[in-house]
Amino acid sequence: MGLTLERPTQAPGPAVPRPSPGSGRGSRARWVWGWAYSGILSVMLTLTVLLGYLVTGIASGTVDWTALLTSSTWSPGNLAFGGLAMIYGSAVVCVLALVLAVPVGWAAAVALSEYLPPRLARPLRLSIELLAAVPSIVYGLIGIMVIRPFVADLGDVPGGDSLLAAGIVLAVMIMPTIVAVSVDALAAVPGRYREAAYSLGLTRREVVRSAVLPQARPGMRAGVLLGLARALGEAIAVFMVIGRADDRLPESLGDVFSFLVRPGQTLTTKLAGPEPMLAGTSGPYFAALCGLGIILLTLVAVATVWGTRGSTGRAVRAPRARRSSAWLRTPKDRLTTAVRLGALLLPGALLVGMLGILLARGGAALNPVFWFTPSEGASGGGIRDQIVGTLLLLATTALIALPLGYGAGIVIGTRASAKTARVLETLTVAVGGTPTILLGLAGYVLFCTTMGWGRSWLAGAVVLVPVVIPVVALTTAGRIRSMPAEITEAALALGLTSSQYVRSVVIPYTWPATLTGLLLGLARAAGETAPLIFTATVFFGAPALPTGIVNAPVQALPTHIFTLSQDSGAPEAIAQAWGSALVLVLITAGLLSLAVFLRNRFEGARRWTT
Amino acid sequence: MSTESRSRAARLTGRRVRQGATVASASLLLSAALTGCAGSGKAGTDAIQASGSTTVAPVASDAAEALKAKGLNITVATQGGSAGGISQLGTGQINIALSSKPLSEKDQKAYPDTDFVTTQIGADAVGVIITKEVADGGVKGLTKAQVAGLFEGKITNWKEVGGPDLQVFVYDKEPGRGTREVLDKFIYGKGEPPAPPKSANYAIVGGNLETRNKLKSTRGSIAPLSTGFIDGHPELVAVPLEGVAPTLANVASGKYPMTRPLFMITNGKPKGTVKQYIDYILSPEGQKLLPQHGYLTREQMGL
Repeated sequence: MGLTLERPTQAPGPAVPRPSPGSGRGSRARWVWGWAYSGILSVMLTLTVLLGYLVTGIASGTVDWTALLTSSTWSPGNLAFGGLAMIYGSAVVCVLALVLAVPVGWAAAVALSEYLPPRLARPLRLSIELLAAVPSIVYGLIGIMVIRPFVADLGDVPGGDSLLAAGIVLAVMIMPTIVAVSVDALAAVPGRYREAAYSLGLTRREVVRSAVLPQARPGMRAGVLLGLARALGEAIAVFMVIGRADDRLPESLGDVFSFLVRPGQTLTTKLAGPEPMLAGTSGPYFAALCGLGIILLTLVAVATVWGTRGSTGRAVRAPRARRSSAWLRTPKDRLTTAVRLGALLLPGALLVGMLGILLARGGAALNPVFWFTPSEGASGGGIRDQIVGTLLLLATTALIALPLGYGAGIVIGTRASAKTARVLETLTVAVGGTPTILLGLAGYVLFCTTMGWGRSWLAGAVVLVPVVIPVVALTTAGRIRSMPAEITEAALALGLTSSQYVRSVVIPYTWPATLTGLLLGLARAAGETAPLIFTATVFFGAPALPTGIVNAPVQALPTHIFTLSQDSGAPEAIAQAWGSALVLVLITAGLLSLAVFLRNRFEGARRWTT
Repeated sequence: MSTESRSRAARLTGRRVRQGATVASASLLLSAALTGCAGSGKAGTDAIQASGSTTVAPVASDAAEALKAKGLNITVATQGGSAGGISQLGTGQINIALSSKPLSEKDQKAYPDTDFVTTQIGADAVGVIITKEVADGGVKGLTKAQVAGLFEGKITNWKEVGGPDLQVFVYDKEPGRGTREVLDKFIYGKGEPPAPPKSANYAIVGGNLETRNKLKSTRGSIAPLSTGFIDGHPELVAVPLEGVAPTLANVASGKYPMTRPLFMITNGKPKGTVKQYIDYILSPEGQKLLPQHGYLTREQMGL
């Protein structure tokens, strides 16, 4: 027969009769693509603005690129601008962070998703997401208290300010991101794969290795990329433990290890230091700093290309046949179980330790009066206005970033060809890896100066948007990729247009993951200090709620903590800084738990394939 | 497998022309949304804007708090430290620059149209801080040459200056920090300081609190730091320089070499509410705020 099974090449086009428009699900949903492309355009717009800012800076003075890339002498007084030592520092710190965080993070994610019963896994997963909510400045403060002495003992060096300490702090910071995104990827693997594998008589280790991991790998890799992007872009926490010593480069291979326990400098710490302020806005000094910014963006892009390389090809290839020996199957299985559950203990211990320090230091936050009274002077009273300001910034950022990030994720996940998807994904991760200090400086030039907003809460919210969008987009795209093919096939077989497919299939399937992404992104944005200082916040004197947009600053918790923890000598200022840190963590924790509770409910209800 | 189905989906439903139109309309939408916000802003409030040094900010905030009751609206920010405050004042973005370093000729040259008027509100003594272990071990004072040797990395063990057999660990302040400029001025006068040493025992620190934390946790460390910050921290000692200890009397009389003034800088003579604000800080009531944050009052400085 074959007369009805063959679809016309143009189908489903307008010629094909379809349900009358306007009746809910039957409508054409034309808005979908306009919305989705707005998302991807916003990613590109961010990059354009950033590059525009940096290129204008470079054009304002000559940059000796050879020296910037190959010399390690940085001495603005002598007009010597060599960035090699900083590039080396950034690379070493990120590699250390990944080497420490990825094995533990992946093992913990597998343990959470495959080993623990849901009753235990859910609260644990929430706790790990809480870790992602700890602002980077708190990681920095705790790094000074705990990790520096640890490195000092380990390497028998005074102080402990070192590349190694920075690497450890970053590892702790990016681990929650890796775990949370990996757990999402693992949870998206349909249960029937596991059932099939178990029914073949495989042990749990073999099930995970041969049935679950191959399916979840792209998502788990996305988690690592997000982590790497965060590590490359993080400034404040690294700033406090790396020692910021210029021009340190090992001269021989043997020195590499001894230099790990010595002070160093990364690209971000250089940019987050006072030098962009001292360099003015033109001339060779400023141009050299912009050159460093370009190098940093390039590194993020290179790391991303390298990280996504082959992931699309590998997904198509049939799994390699592994000849695994049957020798000691059960002991091996038990050992793996122990190792994976052990790996889970580490983030748990981190959380408990961090909360312990926060509670011990920031006891002021436990008094409700502290939450609901406005501050008095430099460090007296409560922090009501700072809380309101932070919530306002976060809510505005979420409102702008959710639709844009969701749209971008949908384009990356469904629309683009494999090649385009990789390019778009690279761009998105590049935006995510942009040091927020650069976003702040670019936003300051664009909104506060050129557009004449002055200090404005809206400028602050807009500057935070690029922090959130990539996380939302990449988690959404990862979830779309792990959608069972038969859902897509069934949708197409029913004759849905691509917009209808997105509206009725993709969105209902992916929104819990998108929500995770939004929450993780907001958690990160909540702790951002550097971009707000330039664009949106003042230390004292702003009204709790701004009345306009132009010259309408707010006060926010992270910048409040930052200012207090930098220079206040008064003991009550330190108490208030730690109290504010605990409040910030608690607020984010509250929001997260609420949203995770909702998500768990809906994810349960939306199990399509199990 | 998922890739395959995705590209198939794209192939089956992709219509290039419409895609182009969608992209165009999306970009239009986005740019409209972005520029639309700009127009809706209204004129700024009449708040006095002060910004600059993190050292002065706590005092400025406390004073602003006291004046709130009188209906004065003052915002205090700390963007870019002293140098940042001065540049913002020069470009007319703020009313008052907070500064913990004297105005330099360079600043005046950079903003020729601005009539910088400085008002000293107090002072701050910068000490060369060492750990108690080193002080007890025999380091009872340092000469200018010894301080230079320590910070240039030429003296690497405390026994070279009469102390215990312990490695020196130098914490220097970031470039542009008022504290570092005071130390450089003490060691080199008007000369240009040399590049920092490439020793393993040399690191950079930022704020005063960070400096104190790191001094306390590093054996054999040395750093420049406001003496107000080591009050109540017996494990740290401000070492006498050239035989002069940073006592109140020595600082006030000018015998102690590393004192820095704290300033409020305005464009032209302070007028109206700005004058009211600065006058308050200069009043006996306002001066009481300085010791609270570890600084010296004008009276103590003999002004």
